Amino acid sequence: MLSHTTTRDWLIPYADGMLAVDERRRIDGHIAGCAACAAELREVRELNLLLVTLPPAPPVAFAPFWLNLQAVLPQRRVLRIPRFPNYRRVGLALAAATVAVLVAAGSALAAPSALPDNPLYPVKQLEEGVKLTFTPTNDRLTLQLQFASERLREARAMVNDHKPLLAANSLRAFSVTIDDSAAALKNPANPKTAKAAVQALRQELADIEQANAARADDDADVKQLVLAASDELDRIEGTDAVTPQPPVVVGVQSTPQPTPQPTPKPKPSESDGRKPSGDR
Amino acid sequence: MAKVQDAPSLEEDAEERRLIDRSAAGDQEAFRQLVLRYHRLVINVAFRALGELALAEDVAQDVFIKVYKALPSYRHDKPFKHWLHRVAANAVTDALRRRRPVVSLDGMEQPPASRDADPQDIATRHDLQRAVRHAIASLPSHYRDTIALQAFGELSYDEIAKTLDIPLGTVMSRLNGAKKLLRERLGSIAHPEEEANTA
Repeated sequence: MLSHTTTRDWLIPYADGMLAVDERRRIDGHIAGCAACAAELREVRELNLLLVTLPPAPPVAFAPFWLNLQAVLPQRRVLRIPRFPNYRRVGLALAAATVAVLVAAGSALAAPSALPDNPLYPVKQLEEGVKLTFTPTNDRLTLQLQFASERLREARAMVNDHKPLLAANSLRAFSVTIDDSAAALKNPANPKTAKAAVQALRQELADIEQANAARADDDADVKQLVLAASDELDRIEGTDAVTPQPPVVVGVQSTPQPTPQPTPKPKPSESDGRKPSGDR
Repeated sequence: MAKVQDAPSLEEDAEERRLIDRSAAGDQEAFRQLVLRYHRLVINVAFRALGELALAEDVAQDVFIKVYKALPSYRHDKPFKHWLHRVAANAVTDALRRRRPVVSLDGMEQPPASRDADPQDIATRHDLQRAVRHAIASLPSHYRDTIALQAFGELSYDEIAKTLDIPLGTVMSRLNGAKKLLRERLGSIAHPEEEANTA
């Protein structure tokens, strides 16, 4: 039988149901003959009851909660399409735009190759956003793949430069770009080119993984993000392979069960008089 | 003790991961979807801790702002929900400590609430709940953080261990210590007749 002190020490996990069966039995045995411990167990249970009966919140509407939250969220590298300004502000906006254009023009030449630790990097992001916005939908995939590749170039440079946080940011941006282009990537206008581009991205990811692994201070986050990015590419390519698009048949949709289309039979050549065999 | 939902399926997990990464990259729409998934959980934690809806919503907003700022450094090495619970528990216990007790100690020394819906009993129960919150806020930080996850977050021992990255045995020992202290501090409230007998 357990001692009085040991039983008292175990009353709380006992009341929380955290003890093994044999431990519970031993405590049950002690409590059955000890009024003090039984009284203490009641107190422990009363406290538990107080703790678990703290009530949940009444229902809260999500929309106002989000609007209030959104109003105070810090802005972070988000590219937005600018709103059309009020007429009263057009003059001011034009002046600001002129200054912006002059500044942008000055830095535009250097920006495209800027890495995330370069002060011109935000200009590069802005340029990419603008390019993407004004590119026709049909041509967007090429640009997205180009940007995705650029993110990987940045990530690799940052890994080599001992800057794992910036590398991780570029890898996240890569995943976002790939995620955005997933639909187009599944049905590309030019499947061969798209496949080659994805293959190149895979190679670049492998290079980053290798560069990170080669470091004595290899970063777990970078490793994880590289794996996640590879998984994302697998997912995009894999979905395509597993669920092939059914052929579009025009004009037979109203038929509940489409009539099987006759398959054109190959013309038997004069030298081939055999019947087609059924065992394929 | 109610348990939080089981671990999400792989598909949900992948979707959540995408939302987290997009939010970390500044995509507010992705963050909105994350908030939509978890705002109820965070508001509940805050409300259980603070007992006032307006205050709970304010604290929940603070939690999500902290989460949004910290997302770029979030590593997917533990479930997002556990990480969120930890941020929420820290925020609510901070708010609880900053807050002055609403009920005086004299006012709290009342008999425990019965199950009847008598207005006086309801008022007494509310006072008891306030007393419990205040007592939790007065605990040493390692006890406070652990019991906050159990009482406000409704997490199991195992989930607390994962959320705080501590062994299960440490959770048991902390909850043991926390509840012993709570019983000492709340003893005169929950058992006024015994106090009177010994006086």
